[in-house]
Amino acid sequence: MPAGLDNLRHLVVLMMENRSFDHMLGSLKAVDPRIDGITNQLSNPDSTGTLVAPQPLAEFQGQLDPEPDTHFPAVDLQIFGGNTHPNRLANMQGFVKSYFNQNGDVRHSQKIMYYFKQHNLPVLTTLALQFAVFNRWFASIPGPTVCNHAFAHYGTSFGNVGMNPLRVNELVKSVYERLTHAGPRHTAKLYFYDKTSSALGTTRLLRNQPELFGTFQQFLGDCDTGCLPNYSFVSPNYNDHDSGSGWEVANDQHPDHNVQAGEIFIASVYNAIKNSPLWPNTALLIVYDEHGGIYDHVVPPACTPDQFTASAEDTGTGMPFAFDRLGVRVPVILVSPWIPKGTVVDRVFDHASIPATVTRFFLGNYSPRSPRETSADVFIEPIIAPVDPNRNLLSLDAMRTDCPDFDV
Amino acid sequence: MTLIHVPRPPQSALNPDRPINALLKAQIELFHKYEKRLPIQHHTRIYVSTIKTEGEAAEYIRAVTEAIHTVHAEAEAPRAKPPAPKRRRVIEFAAVADEEAERKSASKAKKEKSTAKAASSRKT
Repeated sequence: MPAGLDNLRHLVVLMMENRSFDHMLGSLKAVDPRIDGITNQLSNPDSTGTLVAPQPLAEFQGQLDPEPDTHFPAVDLQIFGGNTHPNRLANMQGFVKSYFNQNGDVRHSQKIMYYFKQHNLPVLTTLALQFAVFNRWFASIPGPTVCNHAFAHYGTSFGNVGMNPLRVNELVKSVYERLTHAGPRHTAKLYFYDKTSSALGTTRLLRNQPELFGTFQQFLGDCDTGCLPNYSFVSPNYNDHDSGSGWEVANDQHPDHNVQAGEIFIASVYNAIKNSPLWPNTALLIVYDEHGGIYDHVVPPACTPDQFTASAEDTGTGMPFAFDRLGVRVPVILVSPWIPKGTVVDRVFDHASIPATVTRFFLGNYSPRSPRETSADVFIEPIIAPVDPNRNLLSLDAMRTDCPDFDV
Repeated sequence: MTLIHVPRPPQSALNPDRPINALLKAQIELFHKYEKRLPIQHHTRIYVSTIKTEGEAAEYIRAVTEAIHTVHAEAEAPRAKPPAPKRRRVIEFAAVADEEAERKSASKAKKEKSTAKAASSRKT
């Protein structure tokens, strides 16, 4: 059995908000051509028909106000460029048009094509180059936050394509319930930042099972004492607020929150794990819930339909949706001292891969699960011999000692 | 091992008066649904339609989150109590005490009744 998998006891998922792959990591194409980022061949027409190329002019805050639209009809426009024909093809040509629809300002709408220079995001770009970066990880739905978060927790959104509360089907359990009710019993926890920033999309679990929840301070303590659960989901701070012991800046990177604050948060999570006794036994997945309406050039692929269909009224596009196409591509990085430096993964994933991986790794075969989750690829191989060396990302025979540190 | 410097955001990044975004708006709506299911004494008395800023949203979310935890903790508390002492023994003592009191009371009443009867017969 590969040593990395043999040692793995803990999986931590950190889910950030609303930024696309090209926006955050597109600059890395110039550093490593295997990373599918920005090239000089890319553009989008603005509302006057002028082609707008991506430019490395993204700023940390103040540039994406109003926040770009990520509701289903807006993302449909972004992906299909405004084509509503039944046999249409996705072309990723509607991002500038979509942002123009929000403010009617041609120049401002072009900012949706901006991306960050590598040195502006020292944490995210370093981790991407040092560990495994995913070229083809897509949001689960071409829609907003709540339905995409649902896929990370349940492997389905129960037919939801928007921001409405989930109508949870009791047959499909959350990944936390699966683990904590399994025999032999496993442990799982959702760490939200603090009580003013509870984990979005999981409030039903909060309502019914508050014991599953902890705060970020508890996460840091659990790392420190080597008491992390088998599975942890970490949420950032979604709002600026007074915590009682001082002011806290939102660090979820949701437009128009400060991106540097999010960099510090990501580094804090990484440092907490790296400096803990659990570093040899833990893998950290950093993932964004959806693209935030910001430009990405990769066409989302078709996928296995879920058992639900959203009506034409629910989608707002005049067309039903069978959950048979993924959303826009997002930045995703897998961190572990057992991953070779500079790993680039080309297989297709979406957020249903999170419960799929956690369930397969810790519980083996489990049902019932949604069709989307059952067909989703896993990013950590289950410990069932023989492990395919071409799929196993934790492939080193010995732990790395050259992993970076961040001064936060 | 490389140490990488991470710049901090400027002071101006903080703005609790920033209007709430779509994500926070949805979160408030979700929490409002769940607040309505709480026992009435745990309601926040915050009118959610007036929440416009991030600072206000944070305050409301904190209040409902704490209320949810409190309600569950209150429900859990009786279940977590140590086992009560054997009730049977207590009942036995109580029963014996009651019986004795009843016996005394009955005997006193009987005695008073017979005294009254005797007095009455003496009168006649």
